[in-house]
Amino acid sequence: MNILKTPSTSSELNSSRREFLKKLGIVGGGLIMAVPLSACASSYPYAKNEKGQAQLQANAYLQITQNNEIHFYMGRSEMGQGTYTGLTTLIAEELDVLPSDITVHHATAHEAFTNTEYGMQATGGSTSMKISYLPMRQAAANTKAVIKQAAAKALNLEANTLTTDAGHIIVGNKKVPYGEFVELAATLNAPENAPLKNKSQFKYIGKDAPRLDGLAKSNGSAQFGIDVDFPGLYRAALLRCPVARGTVKSVNDKDALAMTGVKKVVTICNGVAVIADNYWQAKQALTKLKVEWELPETLAGFSSDTGKQLFVDALNSDDYEVASEEGDGIAALENASNTLSADYWAPYLAHATMEPLNCTVKIENDHMDVWVGSQSPGIAQGLAAFYGDIDKNNVRIHSTFLGGGFGRRSASDFVGEAAAIAKESGLAIQLVWSREDDTRHDLYRPAAMARFNVGLDKQGNIESWVVRRVGPNIMSYTIDEAVDAMAPEFLPNAMVDWMSKRGYGIFDGLSVDHSSVEGLYEDYAAPHKEVQHVTVDPGLPCGFWRSVGHSFSGFFKESMMDEIAHSQQQDPVAYRLKHTKENKRLSNVIKLAAEKTNWNARKNNNNGKRHLGFAAHTSFLASVAQVADVSIENGQIKVHKVTCVIDCGSLVNPDIVKAQMESGIIFGLTAALYGDITLKDGAVQQSNFHDYPILRMHEAPEIEVHIIKSDEAPTGVGEPGTPPIAAAVANAVFAINGKRLRSLPLKLS
Amino acid sequence: MISFQLNGEKVEAHVPDDMPLLWVIRDHFKMKGSKFGCGMGLCGACSMMVDGQSTRTCILPVSAVANKSITTIEGLSVGEQLSQLQQAWVEDSVPQCGYCQSGQLISATALLKQNANPSDAEIDQAMSGNICRCGTYPRIKQAIKKVASNRQASVEIFDPTLNKTHNTTEEASA
Repeated sequence: MNILKTPSTSSELNSSRREFLKKLGIVGGGLIMAVPLSACASSYPYAKNEKGQAQLQANAYLQITQNNEIHFYMGRSEMGQGTYTGLTTLIAEELDVLPSDITVHHATAHEAFTNTEYGMQATGGSTSMKISYLPMRQAAANTKAVIKQAAAKALNLEANTLTTDAGHIIVGNKKVPYGEFVELAATLNAPENAPLKNKSQFKYIGKDAPRLDGLAKSNGSAQFGIDVDFPGLYRAALLRCPVARGTVKSVNDKDALAMTGVKKVVTICNGVAVIADNYWQAKQALTKLKVEWELPETLAGFSSDTGKQLFVDALNSDDYEVASEEGDGIAALENASNTLSADYWAPYLAHATMEPLNCTVKIENDHMDVWVGSQSPGIAQGLAAFYGDIDKNNVRIHSTFLGGGFGRRSASDFVGEAAAIAKESGLAIQLVWSREDDTRHDLYRPAAMARFNVGLDKQGNIESWVVRRVGPNIMSYTIDEAVDAMAPEFLPNAMVDWMSKRGYGIFDGLSVDHSSVEGLYEDYAAPHKEVQHVTVDPGLPCGFWRSVGHSFSGFFKESMMDEIAHSQQQDPVAYRLKHTKENKRLSNVIKLAAEKTNWNARKNNNNGKRHLGFAAHTSFLASVAQVADVSIENGQIKVHKVTCVIDCGSLVNPDIVKAQMESGIIFGLTAALYGDITLKDGAVQQSNFHDYPILRMHEAPEIEVHIIKSDEAPTGVGEPGTPPIAAAVANAVFAINGKRLRSLPLKLS
Repeated sequence: MISFQLNGEKVEAHVPDDMPLLWVIRDHFKMKGSKFGCGMGLCGACSMMVDGQSTRTCILPVSAVANKSITTIEGLSVGEQLSQLQQAWVEDSVPQCGYCQSGQLISATALLKQNANPSDAEIDQAMSGNICRCGTYPRIKQAIKKVASNRQASVEIFDPTLNKTHNTTEEASA
């Protein structure tokens, strides 16, 4: 445990503690503790700096001031998933303070806040709780221990005679605030491994409690990026080429410049920006611009109606890569007593975060201030520096709440745009995307096609599982951005580690992007498996979308399991259980979901209009089973109720887990019933919520969530609720009318 | 110049007649609680009450609210005192990312003013103009029902020190 007042571990701290803390956004004195978030001591918390010296890598900071204010500088982003409350709960528990007494700060971009899972400062992949659960508690426990040591010293008592309660040291019947002892504590050596509470001692962990950001989000005071404002700030709107990555050939801005409130029109690498006093003026003037575009050839030649054939051709191609192999899938297929084959499709999807993308940039004296709600403040900082042509060390990121992320805000394209506009115009600007911009210039969930070839043995069990996925890969787009952002001298070693650890094909053809095939083959046992991949990429930018590859593989795999079970006249639940004997986490959620929905009694009920569909999927280490209760009303799919069971290990706040299941299900239902981004001559055809509809309240089902009790390490919960739902609904439709829907969005005709 | 009541106080603004009310509130009055979501009146993030009706203000020219009474999210609470719906929102952890919740609360408040004890179908109908991408619908519905049923059970108490149109006591008597 490292107290920043005794700078013995970090050369950076030695040289300038105050400067270092200032960069992190930490002001005021008291006891400031670094929180290293790693169980793996060999690589973290000590990383090598450029001189090869060991350097402290901490990932959050905890500060207790003399006034007994408790500040938590949170390296992760809050986008609705509950991290703000969850991580704060961990600290409150071991520090023994009330969760509501902790002031949470969104941390600036700094390598100190690196996500150990990714080697950079990022929030995604349902990792925050997984990587924080023990280290965050340990840091808080160590902090409490050193405060107790200081109190013992000051009061001339033995530390073990002192107890704590709600931010106070208890001495007999006297309560003394922690703050009284922090100056002294900062001069002591804190223990590295103060004992943690055991489960029975928990006051907050594992208990339902209201979200700590609930108040600010219920009275309008929560600050999102779009709410940033200060005197001298102008608003910018940007006209982009309708075809992604097109560039400006010529501009006529005469009419736009003549509009009221317009200050400047500037051309940047991907479009033309109008800067005005307010957004409404900028948006209106944008329609007066006359711009000719240089179109990117490949994408401009792609239309969804005809282009789907590219995917089909790849399904039939002999030219593929093998992404994963167990046994000999192809040979076993030939020897199987029975085989089954089916093709599935999932379209491109937009994220449609409720808060349109936006970023505020001010450049002054070779320094840049950037206000943004980002899942990757580190990448945001790099891109802002690159496009603003400013030393990255002089770019300061001010983080805000995120009005939805779902992976969209892990990219920083909009930050680069804002930086470029600020640089070109010489003005402090806030770039605001319109909903149309958001729908048409996303980094989309990649479209995907899959073909299953399944070989069965004499008992109808899976002998060979061969699946081929066809479609674009995410990583070529996201790595691109990260590397562009970090000119070679800034490319941190950790980034390279991250790339190699994830095993992504950074260079085309070297290996298969894991996110393209994840979830297609892991859940069910079969003696032989082969996963194949063919990259087909029309050139529409792709990115992380809630649950990433699982968002389509969950639908493909779980629909296929239902197909196989029915083809063998076997119960889909029993059939899944036969293939999950070694997979306790998954089989437990399947069993409980069947029990809670009275599956065995209801599955053969062909009289009523409502039928059940079953699906289960493991992603981000959490297993989730969902049962959809569906009917067809006036030719439309109506989802009445979804019963959901999750095993996500230990719980920090069960109510937030429940909320994330509700959220993941409804998010997944929008994709199951509506989501479809299509292209015409390379341009996205959808534009706003009328043609890219989002599930509304009257369409939302009743949702019942059950959580498996577990003492295992916690997983994340932001994503695992999404993958199973489309298959659960499609499988229910099959139960109703015997129609197998193999394309998303689900359409009855 | 245009004048109207904003959260109980008379205000005036020198803005173009066709400027949407949302941007007048956000950029002129610098009240940031009401949000921009779609610019087409489709998502409800910009909802404000105009004479008690939940209204999409991203497409509403400011000239249309001359001399009318506007209530934004900032006007639902009185100082630190949250409205009953806001209280329920906090207690039941309704918000996730939180961006749409100002609009949701405005629509829910307008609903309960008009219908003290709405059915599920009436809630669905009143709230279907407000999109939540995080999928907080089950909790929104639960919070509305909780407030509606509490009001059925509670005794109305009038506090004469609170006289603004948007105070919680008046809501209770709606």
